[in-house]
Amino acid sequence: MIKDIFNGILKDKFATVALIVLCFIYFCLLFADFIAPYSMNYTDRELSYVPPSPIFTIDENGKLSKPYTYNYVRTYDADLMQTIFKLDKSKKYYLKFFGRGEEYFYFGFIPMNRHLVTVDKDGRLYLLGGDINGRDVFSRLLFGGRISMTIGFLALFILFPIGLLYGGISGYFGGKVDMLMMRFAEAVMSIPSFYLLIILAAILPSNMTSTQRLILIVVILALIGWAGFARVVRGMVLSIKNQDFVKSAKMAGASDLRIIVKEVLPQTTSYVIVAMTLSVPGYILSESGLSFLGLGIQQPDASWGNMLKEAQEYINILYRPWLLTPGFLIFVAVLSFNLIGDTIRDILDPKSKTR
Amino acid sequence: MKRFLYVILIIIFLTFFLKACLRRDIADDKSIKNNIAKTEVNYNFPPESKNVVIDNIEYLQSQAPVGKFGGELIESTIGEGPKTFNPFSSKDATSSSLAGLMYDSLFTTSAKDGKIIPKLAKSYETKDGKTYIVHLRKGIQWSDGKPITADDVIFTWNDIILAGLGNTSTRDAVTIDGKLPKVYKIDDFTVKFIIPKPFSPFVRIMASQIAPKHVFEPITKQGAKAFDLFYSTNTNPKDFVVSGPFKLKEYKAAQRVVFEKNPNYYIINTDNKKLPYLDKLVYLIVGDLNNEILKFEGHETDVLSLRGSTVAPYKMKEAESDYKIYNLGADNGTMFIAINLNKQQGSNGEFYVNPEKQMWFGDKNFRTAVDYAIDRKNMVQNIANGLAKPLFTAESLNSIFLNKNIKGHERNLQIAKDYLEKSGFKYEKNKKLYDKNGERVEFDLYTNAGNTEREAIGVMVKQDLEDLGMHVNFKPIEFNTLVNKMTTTFDWDMIIMGLTGSPLEPHDGKNVWHSYGSLHLFNQRTKKPNFDDRLKFEKRLDEIFDLAALQTDFANRKKLYDEYQQIIYEEKPIIYLYSPIRIVALRKKFKNIYPSQLMGITYNIEEIYEDKN
Repeated sequence: MIKDIFNGILKDKFATVALIVLCFIYFCLLFADFIAPYSMNYTDRELSYVPPSPIFTIDENGKLSKPYTYNYVRTYDADLMQTIFKLDKSKKYYLKFFGRGEEYFYFGFIPMNRHLVTVDKDGRLYLLGGDINGRDVFSRLLFGGRISMTIGFLALFILFPIGLLYGGISGYFGGKVDMLMMRFAEAVMSIPSFYLLIILAAILPSNMTSTQRLILIVVILALIGWAGFARVVRGMVLSIKNQDFVKSAKMAGASDLRIIVKEVLPQTTSYVIVAMTLSVPGYILSESGLSFLGLGIQQPDASWGNMLKEAQEYINILYRPWLLTPGFLIFVAVLSFNLIGDTIRDILDPKSKTR
Repeated sequence: MKRFLYVILIIIFLTFFLKACLRRDIADDKSIKNNIAKTEVNYNFPPESKNVVIDNIEYLQSQAPVGKFGGELIESTIGEGPKTFNPFSSKDATSSSLAGLMYDSLFTTSAKDGKIIPKLAKSYETKDGKTYIVHLRKGIQWSDGKPITADDVIFTWNDIILAGLGNTSTRDAVTIDGKLPKVYKIDDFTVKFIIPKPFSPFVRIMASQIAPKHVFEPITKQGAKAFDLFYSTNTNPKDFVVSGPFKLKEYKAAQRVVFEKNPNYYIINTDNKKLPYLDKLVYLIVGDLNNEILKFEGHETDVLSLRGSTVAPYKMKEAESDYKIYNLGADNGTMFIAINLNKQQGSNGEFYVNPEKQMWFGDKNFRTAVDYAIDRKNMVQNIANGLAKPLFTAESLNSIFLNKNIKGHERNLQIAKDYLEKSGFKYEKNKKLYDKNGERVEFDLYTNAGNTEREAIGVMVKQDLEDLGMHVNFKPIEFNTLVNKMTTTFDWDMIIMGLTGSPLEPHDGKNVWHSYGSLHLFNQRTKKPNFDDRLKFEKRLDEIFDLAALQTDFANRKKLYDEYQQIIYEEKPIIYLYSPIRIVALRKKFKNIYPSQLMGITYNIEEIYEDKN
């Protein structure tokens, strides 16, 4: 089936592009330490809200040159009450590919200091400008994406097994078991998650790092979120369990659990895959929402959500558009997931094969 | 054919891409200015208003240039709008300031130098600082034509303020050694206040607003509940009887508050015509800052407060626009890091702050090192966009009691490290800091999440202290949790907070600095223990605040308050960071604008007029 899906996606142009985009994003995130010119917390305070470094390929005499950049110098104009950045044209900094830069531990243990692109020690290469503290937005985007783009899968791995098994058992046994289990699921669904989050924010021990906190919160959200999914699975199981192959498995003396896991649940796969792909973007979005409420990733750690929060002031949207790049990436990632999810649904749904 | 099209498309795309990669470096040269924003401003003020007698009525005559009558001024207020129009039961800033337009106080503050100047009352005199004689104006009236007399003052004090109706904060403020002031009537236009012992903040509190006895008396007899509901936001505007320049005309919840001019106002211009000039004063209720900015852009409001990075675009457009930008100088907001010096144990016998940390935080050298490591210059530059000034003391920069001898210092890591070494802190392995018992120096730094400004400060402070080898866990947490930590559980190490001070009365800071104050952040006590657990400098601060309140002479008070600021600068239980500069944009068509660092910009609302040309 995986092969069918894959072939199906490749046939659809939009889905193919979406898949390539997603693979590219995840590739960049995986090699973030190497691709990013700086580490997540590298700071140059003189470069708060600095515009992106310009890269020149033709020098002032009009000749082709190796790409180079200049440093920005900050000055303050008290009459205009604003900070002004000006290029310091006295020294050129040539871009070095695979050059030595800040040291880091690759995958946490391999010490390395090569970066995809760097400049000399005194130069600054802020490809997407700086944030309020003078940190490189491009580097932070790569490190921040690691959390934003994986948190959704974490939730899926909790939510789907629970939902599948719960819905499977409830639907398969039916009767009183079904009634009790479904009422319980409904009770879980009625927990107001927003207020739960506010309470959690108050009672979670404050000595957790923000990543631990976010993971815990997502786990809790997933623990509430399975109920809606379980209800759909139960509905599907109700119709599947009366089919002949289930009856024959029963005759053959298979145990109930074995029948549920091996015979019944595999029939729901198509729905599960579609539901999974379509719920990942929801979690990417909720990460940004949680960070906004002060429940998710907090400074100085980066995530796309909390980076975007910095851009919310209207003045930043007008004058520092590079701060909006995390929003653009969230948009691209969510759109890609949705396109792929849609295509998979079409592939797996036999009725729409003639599309 | 299709393939051919693709190839063309790809070639076009590549050309554009390569073109984008080619970027020509053009030599340019422009000289650049590098300076810092002004934090002290001197605007010109008109001569002070005079008391004049015309037809046996004692008016207050404004000396500002004569203007034109008519027109309206539209301001905005962020939030939910007023909760009540009763000046005696308001508890929030919006309600108080709107009620303040309708009820004048006996005295007010000079925008020029902070002195007490007459308003509703004509003058006051005191000989020993315990007895105050207040002379009222003869012949002035409430908006319904009834005279304003000593009976109204006596009633306001005895039956409202001292009786504990409405907001009791005024009553609490004038309770001296458990005793309340006494208020007597001498004649129809003279009132005597007696307090048990000299108390310098008393004059400004005595200046309180006055209620019309004939309107309020029936209500005060019905008890506290009825009083709180009186003049609520549902009141018919016709029922208001006011003494201030404006009277409520219309209130639409969550939309706007409209005031109309009070025809019986007692301030006149030099042509002897009754002020205010404006016919209407409107407050739009806006949800948030962005909304406020949009309303100003859309010409729906006339005044806009600006801060930090929002100033620059307005300043650039100022020349070709219809507004003018005023720099009001450093304001009364302060941003600081509080250090928890708490050494007490909770009810379960556990220390609020664990003993190792107590040793660090209780150490003056440690606190000084922290102070020297902080980079205030870049905080001002990056976070406040240059529109702030480094702060080193507890009084705000516009305070008339500011100790100007405290000059502060630049960031200096070497000095910081020297201080740490003096107390036996050592550097080991990779420049990490250990105390003399070999414990790694590691602590938490909190602030409220969602506040970009404070989070950015936190990130900087963390880096600054990590340059000293400390390990700082910076944790922005939800606001209510933070408040709970500060006021109940005390389990914090350092907190980044901001407070608003009073530029006129340092005594208002007593709840922070007095050892048993309700907001004694850095060493909050739940109850008075049976032994004296105060630190040496805390004892001195208590003494200073008690002594300074007894002094009536400004110079004597200044000396004491200078000492308190010096102590805080030296002991550093709270490390001050910076104070923002207040910038206001106001339409050019309004005249008689005299911006003041102390009072803001529309404090003289009765003198402001609209000049349409």
